[in-house]
Amino acid sequence: MADFAENHLLNLSQALADRARLTRPLVAAIAVPGHRMRSGTLWRKDVVVASEQRFPDAGEANVTLADGSTFTAHVAGRDSGTNVVALQLDGTPDPAPLSASEPQPGGLALALGADDGGISVRLGVIHSVGPSWHSRAGGRIDRRITLDIGVTPREEGGPVLDPGGGLLGISTLGPRGRVLVIPAATVEAVLDPLLSKGRVERGWLGIALQPVLVPEALQAGAGQLQGLMVMSVSKDGPAARANLYAGDILMKIAGETVMSPSAVAQYLGPDSVGKQVELHLIRAEKPLSIAVTVGIRPSR
Amino acid sequence: MSAPAAGVPDRLRIAVLASNAGTHDRLATLVAQCGHQLVEAAASPDAVLTDGAADAVLPAAAVAVGAGGGEFAGWLPPDAGVVQVDAALRAVAAGLTVRATPPQTRNFDALPEEPPVLLTPREIEVLGALGNGLTNKEVARLLGISPHTVKFHIESLFRKLGVASRAEAVAKGMRQQIVEF
Repeated sequence: MADFAENHLLNLSQALADRARLTRPLVAAIAVPGHRMRSGTLWRKDVVVASEQRFPDAGEANVTLADGSTFTAHVAGRDSGTNVVALQLDGTPDPAPLSASEPQPGGLALALGADDGGISVRLGVIHSVGPSWHSRAGGRIDRRITLDIGVTPREEGGPVLDPGGGLLGISTLGPRGRVLVIPAATVEAVLDPLLSKGRVERGWLGIALQPVLVPEALQAGAGQLQGLMVMSVSKDGPAARANLYAGDILMKIAGETVMSPSAVAQYLGPDSVGKQVELHLIRAEKPLSIAVTVGIRPSR
Repeated sequence: MSAPAAGVPDRLRIAVLASNAGTHDRLATLVAQCGHQLVEAAASPDAVLTDGAADAVLPAAAVAVGAGGGEFAGWLPPDAGVVQVDAALRAVAAGLTVRATPPQTRNFDALPEEPPVLLTPREIEVLGALGNGLTNKEVARLLGISPHTVKFHIESLFRKLGVASRAEAVAKGMRQQIVEF
């Protein structure tokens, strides 16, 4: 009995150590002069991705892989919407690629990060897996994956693996210290625009919105109790050009009720740029319809 | 529930220490907008509001606005508004330490869900005016409504937000999420 338990623990331990060793070539240490070291994930032969938030405003970085090889990297593009920064290496390390994998709540996950000359490894479970969501910066993330694992700012951006060695995505520090995973599919989707254009273009209206209760007298006519009040209009933005004003209450977009910020975000993905959307408003207690040509969201 | 800590009166006695007359006036205005009493540094104030540049000995715990160095109980960014200044002064007077959250430490996050409390457009306007330190009469004049109506909106705000003071209403109400698109 004692042997049985011992073998299982040893096997588990050995399997984890093996997994870490196999993934080690993908863990990148990113150094930008004047800033602390941070982690990244070797995503393609010559591309490293990392967490965009708090990534220094720099054009170049030095990337060291776990085998000690170093590369000069050009910061090719960054996207605050999905929290991905892409670095193009001036060489090709040629790692064994990992296949993307689907997360399962309760399944084990390994989060790796760069450590001085090596890697750091953390083990935990996938705490939750939810549907797609929109970040505050407007990006659409394919799955909401949270981990029951703590990650330091140095480790953020490193690869997150499942026990089969599949790549779940890269780790990201979320609200209240929670650790999120930017799914592999989301990283893939932004990588080409980041490498070719340096950014991901998304739709922009140039308005600040806040959920409001529709004034009682207007509720019956409006057919809904909630709307989004325009709190400010960006000068010369798409909404300003279409004559939207602060105080307008946005009720519908393209005929669909919008009551929450995430409902609006759905109309402002990369495909929306340059297209017209019909906004249904209440202005001065009267319904009004205005067509706005969606612009390009300015980078932060 | 929201009574100030024992020993911290509702209206504080605040001294302003600044490196020049212009800054002194700006900080003194903030003190007045918070509804506190401006007193001399020698008159044993409850707390001090400073720009951090005055090298005078501090007569009480100090809130430094936009300071670059020095040891203070409270630190606020240069653009801190009435709500933050008021909260910080009360906190340091009660013996607490205050640090503003630097904007860049906000982690990657989802768009806010619907707020638990929905305000009407008018209530949002009144709340904004309260945040700027306006009295009921001034709010009435600004919005072109009667002071009675202002009072009605404020009562509704207190009820919806579950608060008992104007400062609390502003602090809680302003957390309502505005999202840019």
